[in-house]
Amino acid sequence: MNHKKSSGVINSFVVYIIFGIISFFVLYPLVYVVSSAFSPGNSIASVSIMPFGDGFTAKHFVHLFTETQYGKWFMNTLIIAVCTSLSTIMIASLGAYVFSRFRFVFKKSMLMSLLILQIFPSFVGMVAIYVILLRIGGLDTLWGLVLVYVAGNIPYNTWLVKNYMDTVSRSLDEAARIDGAGHFRIYSTIIMPVARPIITFLGITSFTAPWMDYIFPKMVLRSVEKQTLALGLFSFVTDKKNDFTTFAAGSLIVAIPFIAFFIITQKAMITSFGGAAVKE
Amino acid sequence: MASIMPADGSAQKKITITASLFMGLAHIVHLKDYAKGVFFALTEVLFLAFSPFIVHKLVELVTLGSPQPDLPIKQRGNSIFMLIDGILLLAVIAIFIVTYVLSVRSAQSSYAEYCRKKSFRSFKESANGVFGSAFPVLGLAPSFLMILIFVLVPLLFSASVAFTNYSAPSNIPPNNTVDWVGFENFTTLLGGETSWSAGFARVASWTLIWAFAATITCYFGGLLVAVLLKESKIRFAPAFRIIFILPYAVPAVVSMLVWKNLLNGTFGTVNRTLMALGLIDEVIPWLGHPALAQFTVVMVNLWAGFGYFMLLTMGTMTAVSQDLFEAARIDGANKFQVLRRITLPLVLYQTMPLIIMSFTHNINNFGAIFFLTGGNPTVADSTTTSAGGTDILVTWIYKLTITLLKYNYASVIAVMIFIVLAPFAIFNFSRTKAYKEGEV
Repeated sequence: MNHKKSSGVINSFVVYIIFGIISFFVLYPLVYVVSSAFSPGNSIASVSIMPFGDGFTAKHFVHLFTETQYGKWFMNTLIIAVCTSLSTIMIASLGAYVFSRFRFVFKKSMLMSLLILQIFPSFVGMVAIYVILLRIGGLDTLWGLVLVYVAGNIPYNTWLVKNYMDTVSRSLDEAARIDGAGHFRIYSTIIMPVARPIITFLGITSFTAPWMDYIFPKMVLRSVEKQTLALGLFSFVTDKKNDFTTFAAGSLIVAIPFIAFFIITQKAMITSFGGAAVKE
Repeated sequence: MASIMPADGSAQKKITITASLFMGLAHIVHLKDYAKGVFFALTEVLFLAFSPFIVHKLVELVTLGSPQPDLPIKQRGNSIFMLIDGILLLAVIAIFIVTYVLSVRSAQSSYAEYCRKKSFRSFKESANGVFGSAFPVLGLAPSFLMILIFVLVPLLFSASVAFTNYSAPSNIPPNNTVDWVGFENFTTLLGGETSWSAGFARVASWTLIWAFAATITCYFGGLLVAVLLKESKIRFAPAFRIIFILPYAVPAVVSMLVWKNLLNGTFGTVNRTLMALGLIDEVIPWLGHPALAQFTVVMVNLWAGFGYFMLLTMGTMTAVSQDLFEAARIDGANKFQVLRRITLPLVLYQTMPLIIMSFTHNINNFGAIFFLTGGNPTVADSTTTSAGGTDILVTWIYKLTITLLKYNYASVIAVMIFIVLAPFAIFNFSRTKAYKEGEV
């Protein structure tokens, strides 16, 4: 491959310059968030333009946990994310298994409808969802929000998992059926373990989404102690008040686990992305 | 009772007629398939028992209630509840009709089986049949119910509201009723009232430009970085790769709000830095001037989104078969030719469905606009339409719903988005392997 060392397509000096410029733009806001989180000031106007230019304090972190509901918001979001993720996995994979392994009437039209339903951003039906939650007592509750998320996740993810299960050889199920295993046994002990890559992907995407959503929590969760991180963080930097340093401290606590996770799994992600694209 | 059925197929018509008269009748009377027959019959009995209630709800769906100004607000009928209940019932009726059709078909196929085997199914076989289909039915039931209640009914509701006058100030239940108005909202938005139709045309075209620009910049930005990382063989490639993934890893609500503050016109860090460096004398209204704000959101989106396409194209490049490169090299192609003629076309082909998905995602990319600019700055028609210079259709829907309470217009826009996006989804679907092989 590299028989002529210097004959790379692009001169590496130029590449270093390009990468240096990109890295600067990529890191600039991130470094600024870190420095603001430890800066003594409050609003963005009071923070020095030089990162870490005005001293170092941890008071915003203390403030977050003592004077705001940050800990509560964090727990709420965590509960919502875990419940959404687990329920999505269970419901979508069971549906996908049925779609993948059974023949029944209207199967093709049902699959087609799943695909069409996922085009719509779910908040288009916001008003109706609000009224439905109101009538079943799901407003201002975490489970109401979980229901909305899981329902929104099902169409696309059922489709995704079904496509994956289709690639799993049927001889596995048949062997198990001869041994007397029922449908549920085959689903839970044979198909699910084989489908672990796509299930993991599903679990991760449905776990991360609730951390960033704003619209549904805003609509469903009314009381302050029931809110999620996205709402809480947003409330620090509204038009009326600018508590940028507190916001930065709060953001840092959420962003660090995410970043760590992405860095650890980046190799696996490259492979799975490649595989997904090639396999169609 | 016709206990002896002719097994030569001559009773086909009789079976069809009996099965159509009452669900499950043919199963019980002619086919001795009691388990199935009782199940079907109970379904119909249940449906008939509720029919007065169903008719009442359907009438309400048509009328959406009449004004009751003399009643206290709490006791007035709520048109919106009527609309949702009516739609839910329509769905139930549709399910009932489908079950009815299935019961007739099931009777016909049982009869065909009888003609072949010359004997009825035993009770055990019949029960096994019902029990065997229990797994797929139970397996799909949770998905089906959740989708029905939280996806399908809301969408149908939204689509219906597009044909009503559900809007502030004079048609908000429970104070007032809502009425069907036909295509009035469509005509208003598509050419009736100048400010609304001009606003709609402006926001719709910006949405398309935005989705196109956002997808193209992120795709080629990511592809460029991926090619550089892969082809240039520089020493710190893994370190750079980690840096480039960072924006993708940060939750959008965080990164967009950070950029919003950094780019703030008066006290934002970017302007203060540029002034301190002596590069500018006056602040640059990054997010304050319509055209500049549009440019800025595309750039910030590039910042947030190129990492995803970098990962994607790197993965695809790695997955391209090495034989192809080998063959090209033997034929005397240099590296640049290999890149241009083999790698890039292949990557483009493989990632096409994901590019289309990304385009449709950007059309609905609420977070990128809402957190960064909130749809601002205001433009000429903003006072009437509430849509600012960077608002895309979905953020406008949000504003119409939350701020202006113009549910009717919001729904019209939602319907439009659906009409524009559905072909893309169907195109992607038709490319999948399962569809091509006709085995869906």
